[in-house]
Amino acid sequence: MNRLRVVLVDDHSLFRAGAKAELGTDLEIVGEAATVDQAVPVILSSAPDVVLLDVHLPGGQGGGGAEVARAVLAANPAIRLLALSVSDAAADVVAVIRAGARGYVTKSISPADLADAVRRVAEGDAVFSPRLAGFVLDAFGAAAGDVAAADELDRLTAREQEVMRLIARGYAYREVATELFISIKTVETHVSAVLRKLQLSNRSELTHWAARRNLL
Amino acid sequence: MRRPLAGRLVGGVAAGLADNLGYSVKPVRWAFVVFGLLGPGLLFYIWLWLTVPSADSTERPPALARLAPYLTQPSRARPLARLAAGLGLLGVAGLIAATGAGLDLPLEWILPGVVLLAAVWLAWSQLDKADPAAPRGTFSWIRLGGAIALVVLAVSLLITRGSDTVSVVAVLAAGLAVLAGVALVLAPWGLRLLAALGDQRAATAREAERADIAAHLHDSVLQTLAVIRSQADDPAAVRHLARAQERELREWLYQDRSEPGQSTAAALRTVAGEVEDLTTVEIGVVVVGDHRPNEGLSALVAATREALLNAARHGAAPVSLYAEFSPRQAEVFVRDRGEGFDLTSVPADRLGVRESILGRVRRHGGHAEIRSGGPGQGTEVCLRLALTPPDPAPTAAQEQVSPARKAKPSAEERVSPARKDKP
Repeated sequence: MNRLRVVLVDDHSLFRAGAKAELGTDLEIVGEAATVDQAVPVILSSAPDVVLLDVHLPGGQGGGGAEVARAVLAANPAIRLLALSVSDAAADVVAVIRAGARGYVTKSISPADLADAVRRVAEGDAVFSPRLAGFVLDAFGAAAGDVAAADELDRLTAREQEVMRLIARGYAYREVATELFISIKTVETHVSAVLRKLQLSNRSELTHWAARRNLL
Repeated sequence: MRRPLAGRLVGGVAAGLADNLGYSVKPVRWAFVVFGLLGPGLLFYIWLWLTVPSADSTERPPALARLAPYLTQPSRARPLARLAAGLGLLGVAGLIAATGAGLDLPLEWILPGVVLLAAVWLAWSQLDKADPAAPRGTFSWIRLGGAIALVVLAVSLLITRGSDTVSVVAVLAAGLAVLAGVALVLAPWGLRLLAALGDQRAATAREAERADIAAHLHDSVLQTLAVIRSQADDPAAVRHLARAQERELREWLYQDRSEPGQSTAAALRTVAGEVEDLTTVEIGVVVVGDHRPNEGLSALVAATREALLNAARHGAAPVSLYAEFSPRQAEVFVRDRGEGFDLTSVPADRLGVRESILGRVRRHGGHAEIRSGGPGQGTEVCLRLALTPPDPAPTAAQEQVSPARKAKPSAEERVSPARKDKP
């Protein structure tokens, strides 16, 4: 099995060194960058399978990881990005997801889980941490009766809500599949659908969060 | 010394002075009236009025603010209008009295004087508006323009005293032309001054925020780092210190602090933090929604604490806490990745712990269950509490959440009330 090619974008050299040491056996680190201005050319020239992207980055227009994601995807939509941050702020999370990242994990994730998440993103799936699932439930209304939104993009289906709830409870995709008697593939489909809604929906909570990061 | 906003008669000077000196307000007011009539008391009053800032009592308590509040100009609204109206009425009364007494008034002096006074009042009431750098409303521009027009009119009237209308108009035009010229020359300078003022404001605000952050980092992070360095030989202690500090910093950075006792979500986070401190096991907390605490929710929080302690002590990391508040019900899930446990082999003391989790919630009309998935699957404690009591919704939601329950009856346990008495 050929190893996945990954670019690390993070302004903390300590973190880059640590991640490199931990992931080096599973993944091939083909590039590193510390600022927005460095990141875009490095990513576009090395064309990696996955970019591990920090949310807070210096340089550029001040847009951080979201700016990198937009610039990279505008030039090459095939590149997949996984956001990685210590931040808990909803505005940061939503901003980078709406800019096109395929998932969001916190830096406290274990190396094995991170490698797993990278692989998942490389295969085109979405990666949701429990916290991101919590944000989604918060933004789309956790109450099942909340069907006021007319647009299909603005609400979750009952099944998607169940999946999000289980992920927020700490279930892995495999465990979600077992719990709901569905295949892992179906779970992945649901999660990807939620990701699409997160990126395209006009729900006021999402646009509000995004606007705070000067996204809109 | 401050001039209080509440309880002032004219400018709050007497009230402020009385408060500052520790006297009651009445004698101070009378003293101002007496000395004002006798001599320099009025001047003293006006001087204090101009120099003493108004008290601003609308600040959020510092303990609850996310960061130090930005520097703001204290509001200095003064009932100048009323004072001016009073003076004007007095003046008019004096005039009427004088004409009544048969005096021949030099109206060509008095009329421009009155106009000039009105213009000065208009202009000065503008100066009083707090922030010169702040954008002005249309109204304040109109007032400024009116003041200038009035001054020009007054000066023209003074100069052309007794002459015909044509020369009045000519002098008016000349005055306006001079004003326009001066404004044109001074405009760049004034604009630059405004810009510099704005920049300085922003810099001060940034400085204050930076000082606040520095103070916080010193009190928390730097201290913790020092402790970590001194305990470097003890990995468990270091990990624990780092985690506790991380949690505290996160809370400070990313969350608006809520009033104590107003948020069940905050209570759950606090409880998770306590358990982390006690057991040094990391707990991932995700809370969706929030609800004002009540008796049942307090029990739910207490039961959650027991469940977390249980998971941290007997299960294996990662321990996760998920809570969801909808208008109808509150749900809490505590999950660990331990070996799971076989209920038949649970020691008596541990059953007691479970009673303090499950029994507590059931006594408040909630549902509680423990699901154990066997080795590697971990254990999950599910607590559910209806928030609007006579409501069939919780049971409906319960079935919707977990259709797997019927298929795996052996993997879970409901504690019936009858079992409560067992040890």
